[in-house]
Amino acid sequence: MSWLNSLAIWQWSLLAIVPPAIVLLYFLKLKRQPLEVPSTFLWARTVEDLHVNTIWQRLRQNLLLFLQLLLILLIILSLLRPGWEGTAKIDKRAIFVVDTSASMSATDVEGTRLDEAKRRVAQMIREMNSGDVAMIISVSDSANVEQPFTDNQSLLLRKLNAIKQTNHRSDIEQALRYAAGLANPGRTADDPGDTQVAQAMPATLYIYSDGRFPKFKNFFLGNLEPEYYPIGSAESDNLAVGSFRIDRNPEKFDQIQAFARIDNFGAEDVDTDVSLYIDGELRDAEQLNVPADGQASLQFNMDDIEQGELRLVIDRKDDLMIDNDAYVAANLPRRAKVLLITDFNAALSMALSTTGIEKYAEVSRISAEDLASDAALAAKYKQQSDAGAFDLIIFDRYSPEEMPQANTVFLGAVPPTEGWGFAEKKPRGIVIDSNRSHPVTQLMDMGNVNIADCYPVTCPAGGTRLVDADVGLLMAIAPRQGYEDLVVGFEMYSSDDAGEVVYNTDWQIRRSFPLFVMNMIKYLGGVRGSMSSLNVAPGEPAIVRSRLVVDEVRVKPPVGSQAKVGREGENAFVYTFTNELGVYQVREGSDDEVSQRFTVNLFDTRESNILPLDKIDLGESEVSGTAGVQRSRFELWKWILLLGFCVLVGEWYIYNQRVYL
Amino acid sequence: MLAQLERMELVSRKIFRGRMKGERRSRRKGQSVEFADFRNYVHGDDLRFIDWNLYARLDKLFLKLFLEEEDLHFYALVDASASMEFGDPTKFFYAKQIAASLGFIGLCRADRVKIETLGAGPANPGPVLRGRASLWRMLDYLDHAEPGVNVSLGDGVKDFCLRNSGKGIIVLITDMMDKSGYETALRYLLAQQMDVYVIHVLSPEELNPDVKGDLKLIDCEDSDVAEVTISRPLLDRYKRTLASFIDGARDYCVRRGMSYVLAPTDTPIEQLVSSYLRKRGLVR
Repeated sequence: MSWLNSLAIWQWSLLAIVPPAIVLLYFLKLKRQPLEVPSTFLWARTVEDLHVNTIWQRLRQNLLLFLQLLLILLIILSLLRPGWEGTAKIDKRAIFVVDTSASMSATDVEGTRLDEAKRRVAQMIREMNSGDVAMIISVSDSANVEQPFTDNQSLLLRKLNAIKQTNHRSDIEQALRYAAGLANPGRTADDPGDTQVAQAMPATLYIYSDGRFPKFKNFFLGNLEPEYYPIGSAESDNLAVGSFRIDRNPEKFDQIQAFARIDNFGAEDVDTDVSLYIDGELRDAEQLNVPADGQASLQFNMDDIEQGELRLVIDRKDDLMIDNDAYVAANLPRRAKVLLITDFNAALSMALSTTGIEKYAEVSRISAEDLASDAALAAKYKQQSDAGAFDLIIFDRYSPEEMPQANTVFLGAVPPTEGWGFAEKKPRGIVIDSNRSHPVTQLMDMGNVNIADCYPVTCPAGGTRLVDADVGLLMAIAPRQGYEDLVVGFEMYSSDDAGEVVYNTDWQIRRSFPLFVMNMIKYLGGVRGSMSSLNVAPGEPAIVRSRLVVDEVRVKPPVGSQAKVGREGENAFVYTFTNELGVYQVREGSDDEVSQRFTVNLFDTRESNILPLDKIDLGESEVSGTAGVQRSRFELWKWILLLGFCVLVGEWYIYNQRVYL
Repeated sequence: MLAQLERMELVSRKIFRGRMKGERRSRRKGQSVEFADFRNYVHGDDLRFIDWNLYARLDKLFLKLFLEEEDLHFYALVDASASMEFGDPTKFFYAKQIAASLGFIGLCRADRVKIETLGAGPANPGPVLRGRASLWRMLDYLDHAEPGVNVSLGDGVKDFCLRNSGKGIIVLITDMMDKSGYETALRYLLAQQMDVYVIHVLSPEELNPDVKGDLKLIDCEDSDVAEVTISRPLLDRYKRTLASFIDGARDYCVRRGMSYVLAPTDTPIEQLVSSYLRKRGLVR
């Protein structure tokens, strides 16, 4: 049995006045209202027999006093909060780390796991003795200090209650470093001559989490004493959409396929229905058996859709519902904007003007000569290329002074950037191999291509070799600040000494040439990637690239109101409020049409696997969970108050019915 | 109302000897216009009453006997203790109304009417009235009668009885709220061999007290204090006590040949006189 003081001294002294006041009032007695009556004759006879037993009568009046004193005694007793102490005492300095990541919204405990964690922390806070200090840190993918060290219990409880659930991933490292920084000051003082700026303050770190954190290294607890309280049930069961994407059917280009992977993190095989909704309407559903602790995949075939929002739902209630939905947005397949800068390339011009290519690309052409001579044209080109107006610019035997904000293809020329270069001209090249795995050169057989003059290409670090010839590398692709540059080490047409155009290769009559053009437009023109939209994890910034040159885009989240996002340089817009799962609609400038969409999906096995871990790895040390130990305290005050209430009711009854006593 | 009262008559169940000739037939034979009987003439009879017609027919002397007419002594005794000054209208006012009504009836029938408040004492006795012309004197007396004379019921009645020895009807109008009891007073009246009527006046506030809370009840007569905390059970208990008090009084009267009438002050006076008292046989 132990007691907890819940009042300050002045409050106690106020309370101490009450019992003497009751006794005093009792002695002063109640003032009866005088009333003149014709005769007390009948009244006296009426109350006569009530007065027969005067001792009992006296006791009856005292009984009320005793009951009142008993009531106030019970109230005082309950304020002293008697109870039986739990197993351990809370330490002088406590740091509560509350996990708010997506997995903490699991409902395998009473309420959600976060509720349970808050309940347990609140219990700990209420057990703090005066003088104990505590701080609260909430953790998802970043750490938030909800309340720095304080001994104000009500403030701590208020801040604790204010902690909100997030859909983010969890990463405890930041919180640990913060806590360790408070417990172990002066870590940065490498020089032994440096004086410590603050005293080391040992503290106990109470971690309330399900323990699913990414591993991290190089962290030492020092003065921190960690205690880990796993939240969640070991029998939790959860199905999750592990991944969900759509793509065109490679065999039937007018069909779309949706692929999904369903993960089962429970201990039993599960049969479930999975439904696919397009723009809120049920399109398809499939029954699926997901083995215990395993995965199952499924595929939906659909006719072409221009654009829309697809939602995959596992039609089953489990402990974590947020990962039962996955979203993908099909963006409007748009034609790539392609600029061809050439003086003469009949084959390429022809290939780019076929109806097949026109489906995918809108090709404009500029003469290299005009660009050199016409200043207005050059300025317009520069402005467009800097603003990212083109997806792909093809430079045929022409090298610009500055690289544009676009993907580029160089035919018989090299970009003016570091790393790219042509070796010495070779009179003849025989293609040995082409990279079949790269999207640009897939299905291309260049073995039958004859090339006259060629320039072996040197490509910068990070580049990919696409076509190798006996003389060296003939085609390579390399990334550049989010864009890609492809360099072909031979010209298609060259000029002879007389200035006449002559063929340099027979590639244009080979089957591989139109294939190359098509791949180039689809891949570098961004056509291929436009089917599935951008997907980010909750809480991570989404970088949206506008299609038009606008100063701001408006993003409408699945829940809440539209937000304006300003330009962050070039045509990138960074939207950061991605806590909600679902489809975010992007409108460019003042356009009311949705120009593109991006999605926020959990797709995180660490969060979806809600089985709480028995032990967690905190950098260099491992902490076992103290799940079984409920640091509870059996409190008596509620029962005492209940008893007090009964006394009050009894007193009221006696007061009202006292003629019977 | 006056017309109604004029038609009424005070009735005594006993026949008393009046002092003067009244409008009342007496069992005694006497001089009146109402014939009663004949009897044989004996020596010394007043020759004026011989029926000469019979003598002419039968040649025998018969004396004609007439019924004697007498007056009735009517006493109305009104309790004037402080407790009577209670209620709306006060019990005393109500009692005076009853006394006036009955007195008026008596005056109309040429009865001897005497109305007196209890405790008035020999110094201020009530007037003795006779004849309709005395109505104003009676009313004047009642008008000036004030309550608040704290004399016990017993003492008041005793005093009255000592001063008024005549026989007749006596109506005691009281609330009977006397801590020493009403029995003594009634016993004195009984000893007078009068026809006693007890009209028990109670106000509705006494019959159904509308009080609540913690009260210190102060007796207006002797300032006695009773502390009560009103509750439903207590009120029920009070009503039971009151009922047993009333029953006790009625029982006491009936057993001793007195008439008892309970008169709550909310009963209209006409109804009381024309209905209740008529039923009891006091008036007709």
